[in-house]
Amino acid sequence: MSDRRPRTPVRTLLIALVLCVPPFYLDAFWLRVGLFSVAAAIGAVGLSLLSGTAGQLSLGHAFFLAVGAYGYTWLAGEPGPGLPTAVAAVLAVLLAGAAGGLFSPVAGRVRGIYLGVATLALVFLGHHVLLTADSVTGGFNGRSVPPLRLGGFGFTAGEPELTVLGVPFGAEERLWYLALALLGLTWFTARGLLRSRPGRALAALRDSETAAAVLGVDVARHRAAAFVVSSMYAGTAGVLLALAFRRIVPDYFSLALSVDYLAMIVLGGLGSVAGATAGAVFVTALPLLLSRYADQLPLVAAPGTADGAVGPTEAARFLYGAAVVVVLLHAPDGLHGLTRRLRDRFRAARRSGPGSGPHARPSAPPIAPVRPEEHTP
Amino acid sequence: MTGLLDDLLGGLALGAVYALVALGFVVIFKASGVLSFAHGSLLLFGGYLIAVLHDDLGFAGALAVAVLATALLAGALDRLLLQRGDPGPGAAHVQTIVTIGVDIVLLTELSRRIGGDLLPLGDPWGDAVTGLGPVTVADSRLAAIVVSAVSIASVFALFRYTRWGLSLRAAGEDVEAAALMGVRLSRVRTLAWCLAGGLAALAAVFLAAFPAPGLERTTGQIALKAFPAAVLGGMASPVGALAGSLLIGLTEALVAGHQSELSLLGEGFADVAPYAVMVLVLLVRPTGLFGTRGAARV
Amino acid sequence: MNTPHPGHRATTAVLAAALALLVAATGCSAKADGGSGGQDADGVRTGPGVSAETIRLGALTDLTGPYATLGKSIVQAQQMWADETNAAGGICGRKVEITVKDHGYDVQRAVAAYADISPDVVALPQVIGSPVVAALLDDVQRDHLLTFPQAWAASLLGKESVQVVGTTYDLDMIAAVDFLTRTRGVRKGDTIGHVYFEGDYGANALEGSSWAARKAGVKVVGQKIKATDTDLSAQVSALRKEGVKAILISAGPAQTASLVGVAASRGLRVPVVSSAPGFAPQLMKTPAAPALAALLHVVSSAPAVSSELPGVRRMVTAYRKKYAGSPVDSGVLSGYNAAQLLGAGLKKACAAGSLAREDVVKAHRAQENADTGLGVPQDFSDVDRPASLSTYVLKPDAKALGGLVGAEEAHRIPGAEEYLKARRS
Repeated sequence: MSDRRPRTPVRTLLIALVLCVPPFYLDAFWLRVGLFSVAAAIGAVGLSLLSGTAGQLSLGHAFFLAVGAYGYTWLAGEPGPGLPTAVAAVLAVLLAGAAGGLFSPVAGRVRGIYLGVATLALVFLGHHVLLTADSVTGGFNGRSVPPLRLGGFGFTAGEPELTVLGVPFGAEERLWYLALALLGLTWFTARGLLRSRPGRALAALRDSETAAAVLGVDVARHRAAAFVVSSMYAGTAGVLLALAFRRIVPDYFSLALSVDYLAMIVLGGLGSVAGATAGAVFVTALPLLLSRYADQLPLVAAPGTADGAVGPTEAARFLYGAAVVVVLLHAPDGLHGLTRRLRDRFRAARRSGPGSGPHARPSAPPIAPVRPEEHTP
Repeated sequence: MTGLLDDLLGGLALGAVYALVALGFVVIFKASGVLSFAHGSLLLFGGYLIAVLHDDLGFAGALAVAVLATALLAGALDRLLLQRGDPGPGAAHVQTIVTIGVDIVLLTELSRRIGGDLLPLGDPWGDAVTGLGPVTVADSRLAAIVVSAVSIASVFALFRYTRWGLSLRAAGEDVEAAALMGVRLSRVRTLAWCLAGGLAALAAVFLAAFPAPGLERTTGQIALKAFPAAVLGGMASPVGALAGSLLIGLTEALVAGHQSELSLLGEGFADVAPYAVMVLVLLVRPTGLFGTRGAARV
Repeated sequence: MNTPHPGHRATTAVLAAALALLVAATGCSAKADGGSGGQDADGVRTGPGVSAETIRLGALTDLTGPYATLGKSIVQAQQMWADETNAAGGICGRKVEITVKDHGYDVQRAVAAYADISPDVVALPQVIGSPVVAALLDDVQRDHLLTFPQAWAASLLGKESVQVVGTTYDLDMIAAVDFLTRTRGVRKGDTIGHVYFEGDYGANALEGSSWAARKAGVKVVGQKIKATDTDLSAQVSALRKEGVKAILISAGPAQTASLVGVAASRGLRVPVVSSAPGFAPQLMKTPAAPALAALLHVVSSAPAVSSELPGVRRMVTAYRKKYAGSPVDSGVLSGYNAAQLLGAGLKKACAAGSLAREDVVKAHRAQENADTGLGVPQDFSDVDRPASLSTYVLKPDAKALGGLVGAEEAHRIPGAEEYLKARRS
């Protein structure tokens, strides 16, 4: 099989190389869409570990993103301790992890749907704090985000002036590479974690808590740890989002954002790193691209032109909602499962020649997204 | 003293409206284990129908049509979408997320139609109020208290004394055993969704009626406040839904009434107080006030 | 795996070739071309958004979110202005075009849309949504993009490229307190309530009402609410407990209707004064309409659309002809006014020989008495001061166009100068 398919390091290198090219061609709009997508991907990988792998339904992801974003801005900014920005970024990620840890008394005890609604509370309470703690968060108008500096190199235009191959490198171009590096790190650590002992213990917890406990898994500790790790990914995503936004406002970190992240991991296929990334790109980029190309699409009216017609914003919402429904009903393992099945079918067909059945390898059973229901009568 | 009475009565009336919404959550959860995120947009759908139809059919006619149509829509949602999915373990959670998708589609269409308008529902109470000793309360809220008490009692009776309720409870205890005993699960379930849909349309009336100025695109968001009410009560118990809703309503009214004394928590805390109360309760009782802990199956 | 694979060298070669190709191809990237800008044949210096034939403007609006109605009014009013301007020969010999982007009140979409249109426009005659405006503040400043936000918080002052038209929310509430003490019998020692939205709008309004109340020896009781609150019974109870003699409200139309309706039905028949965004014509179709007509006044730096001012009448007539069936609300007036003020700035910039963004901002800021005939003249020269210190008082009338009629003509807000001085120090 290995000779049929480029070996992993080479393939990875190729992908990385292709991803390094966009800043030379695409304008600021595309790069921003890319940055938002990559940040969402990092956050989605974290949520996928928590909800997909460990089976804990969370609607509180927006809160942990906010902790990362505001943590960085406050730690690096004025008012605030004004730490070196790189230190602030690392501390912000740790802070998000700590926030996840503080939630562990709830996460350790409350299960299933109850946990989902309990995490909902985090978003609302967090939003309230963001609005009222003016001195730290800047209140309703939010805060300007200090650009990240590593040594003498700033991730903002003109620090120092930089022109690569005739292309001037502004903030977006530079941040693109930072985002790629963070995404690479996320993939590396998340896949490692999934294959490790704790990763398998989490999966066992999802499938049956009692069985896992019998096998010697410390249930409460693992449940809490999953929250901490997931929050740290969310914190990383928050820092990157803050850098991409340049100014953060409380209204962004709403329940809708949490729901978006849930949709990302579901669309991508629960428990899969690649799936979470694909889902994140889909959910983030779709509305942005649809509204940009509204005038060239059939059936979609350009904003403000016609009465009662479906505008690009609405079209994006319809597509998004319908995609969630269709994917869950017809491909419960999401985009990731879909590509895997297509690949398997394609390979099987090639191996055994046309005409024979595609079932060379039994397709993997759909991943049970979350722990089996424990009904309360 | 009058102030406190005022707050208590206001909280009670608010809680009664939440209870109608929370009751819908409970019925659905008990029948299918699903937390319906589409409830808010079903509610908006029912309200929108009343708003559009009441000129031609009169309020009562419009209400009847809306309750029926919303019940059918909810039933169809369950039958045509939710029950189509993989029924294996974890299905309830998958279906919960499907309702998010449904909510997005429904809400987008309804918002597009409603736009920035405030739609009156033509309810019979108008802005009339009734004096009860030193305090006054809106007639529409008195009606809400009566309607939600009747609804909750009826649902309780349905659960307890009808074949349907028996089947529902049997399914709640053990799905496989119930199926073996000849319970037609899918029909029992769909009926529950229809009931919840009807309740949502009913709740829409009281959410858009007098103290509120009319139906808005955001009216359905009230469902977000009924979440903590239903969870507080224990998700599967109609009595719990009532208790949870009253607790949430009273908390909100009391915190809003004493905003100046509670300035330490930040102004506007009344809106998030329900969530704070819910987290505190869940810390002590992880399955809500009236929930019982399900035995873990190995 | 340790033995070199036969395909290994080939793959490396492919990789290297791909890399070389990519690097070489960047030479042809459009991004590698130098910057834009320069001088046109007519001698006018140009910059982004300005070509020999067109001047392109941008609008970041909300056509699908909570401000959909307002957004549509402004988009249509500004399009009408563009059509009229082009019919009269355009500006600086160029046609005016407006690129409209809908963000549906979503910050991320708005920021992406800004990145999309900002390289190709010279100014933004419309940006809706306080969180959107807040998120874009730094970018707009950096890009020197003259922007007219549909928000009136004092925190938007002091920014060279951001132009708030008319008064700010705090000044409106100072005018409201003045109106109450002057005409509604609120006296020293009385208590008044102020119901306000969380966020910039409410906070700024409360700042104004608190200052004015202190001056007048009146106590203010605040009640903070959220945009999703539409039943204000609890707030009315709290205010009644405090024995308020009048109520100020800085929220949305739904909240105003609920507040006035509940207060009236509970026997708390006190005067209510709202900020301009707290009223919409649709309110006069709700059950609260009689109470609104009896108790409510609205302070606004713009006249009512039913006003007899010749400029307003001409504009409203043209709008109703062009967009028959569309409601005529305050958004029509403020949108058209902003576009006209921007047009005046562009003409000045053209006369001074440059339509580059910085010069448009400079020309705009040079106007000390900009009068469009749609209300009071505006002074844009001091970035730290609101453009106007005058206000109208309006009152609801179900029969009037736009649901409002004038109650008091434009007048300077008493104490405004003193307040600004106190605020600055």
